[in-house]
Amino acid sequence: MIQIEGLSKLYGRDVFALEDVSMHVEKGDFVFLTGPSGAGKSTLLRVLLCQDPPTSGTVTVAGRDITRLTPREVQAYRRTIGFVFQDFKLIPRKTVFENVMFALRILGVPDVQQRRRTFQVLKWVGLQHRANAYPLELSGGEQQRVSIARALVNEPALVLADEPTGNLDPDLALDIMNLFREINSTGTTVLVATHDRELIRHVGRRAVTLDHGRVAIG
Amino acid sequence: MLFAGLKYFVTEAVMGLWRGRRSTVLSTLTIAAALFVLGVFLTVAANLDALVERWSAAAELSVYLQDDVSLADRAEVQRALRNHRLVREVQFVTREQALGRFRRDFPDLAPAVADAAAHPFPASFEARLAGEAPGGDGLEALAGRLRKMRGVTDVRYDRLWLQRLQAIASLVGWAVALLGAVLALAAALTVSNVVRLALFVRRDEVEIMELVGAPLSFIKGPFVVEGILQGALGSVIALLALFIATAAVRGRLASAAPGLIDAGSISGLPAGMAVLVVAGGMAVGCLGALLAARRLA
Repeated sequence: MIQIEGLSKLYGRDVFALEDVSMHVEKGDFVFLTGPSGAGKSTLLRVLLCQDPPTSGTVTVAGRDITRLTPREVQAYRRTIGFVFQDFKLIPRKTVFENVMFALRILGVPDVQQRRRTFQVLKWVGLQHRANAYPLELSGGEQQRVSIARALVNEPALVLADEPTGNLDPDLALDIMNLFREINSTGTTVLVATHDRELIRHVGRRAVTLDHGRVAIG
Repeated sequence: MLFAGLKYFVTEAVMGLWRGRRSTVLSTLTIAAALFVLGVFLTVAANLDALVERWSAAAELSVYLQDDVSLADRAEVQRALRNHRLVREVQFVTREQALGRFRRDFPDLAPAVADAAAHPFPASFEARLAGEAPGGDGLEALAGRLRKMRGVTDVRYDRLWLQRLQAIASLVGWAVALLGAVLALAAALTVSNVVRLALFVRRDEVEIMELVGAPLSFIKGPFVVEGILQGALGSVIALLALFIATAAVRGRLASAAPGLIDAGSISGLPAGMAVLVVAGGMAVGCLGALLAARRLA
């Protein structure tokens, strides 16, 4: 599903956020991307989201080199994956329902199907009763679940999550991880960036460790 | 799907305009002011064109006859006019018809000539000329010859000053076009700034939409519709103000110079032009919004 070869990202003249990173993630895998703060985890995910272009190297997702996409192709690519942001990135003036449904609206899914699928996903993350609430009315854990719902509503083959439990307490963090496990059990490839070793140990999946922009343990 | 997309754009645009209603009101009024000024000039130009057309259709050469002109002399004058290469059409106007015209055109002054037998309006021949009289020399010669004929008291022709009036009307038309371009640019820049402000205020939301993969047209669409709506609203307000102003001017002229100026002949902006103003306002709003949203490309 994901093939990264010799990926480097240079900021300024001599700051390598990523240096010669190579890794593979097979279809249906659940992989943690871990390492201390500043290791390059978020940078790698930003490259995978085409938010930051790499300085060198190739990144192939589902057989497609995402480093050579046009702006229009980048938007189309983003619609095929699900991304869970550390800071949730929910639109404050839209309700929970509208935030999740937005991911289907931009795909041009018919209105009726949009509503049905959105309700299904909100039920799955346990927030169907909060559909009409606004993000600011939700707790951190609820906001993160909305973010996850939005990432899943278009049934992507790949879900990327950048520190999805970074702002949550341990119990909530475990709940969120269980959600990701459930997602993965349906065949979706999951790549989660986290510095929380306890969480990785608890979930018990493959972990790729980055250190100072390099792969320490693959 | 297209209808659903448009419905989304319009809904989002209306919500956006409402949320930023203060700046919406300011920009809409600015557009309205610019289009009002343009509308005033368009109305003046339209009325001027109508006036020139009316006067062009009227007599271009008038030959006034003595009250006691003989039939033979009258026929001689008529023959001289009909046979001339510059004259396209000749019409004889009797004294009674001349009086009737005066009463029709100046109803308030009609009582001054109540005595139909003693009025000062002579009979005349009115000639319409064929095409442009080259240099006016042919007309001068014709007028000179007619003045010398028996039974003729005066010869008047309006061609030269009418041509001058047409030139002025044409100049006004050019001025309107130039003014229109300048005002359209000002209105577009106003809308552009308002949309740019809206984009700045909603930059987080725009970023989120970009990150989840919304097509650029999806992100820009509501802002473009906002611009179009502002342009449409501004032009409607301008047309309303123009309508009120035209009615006020007509009323003023009617009371200030009754009988001398036919206030009823002053028309408002023609319907076709009004539609163009609205369409132009919407186009300008759209252009302004596209200018502001191009950084999203």
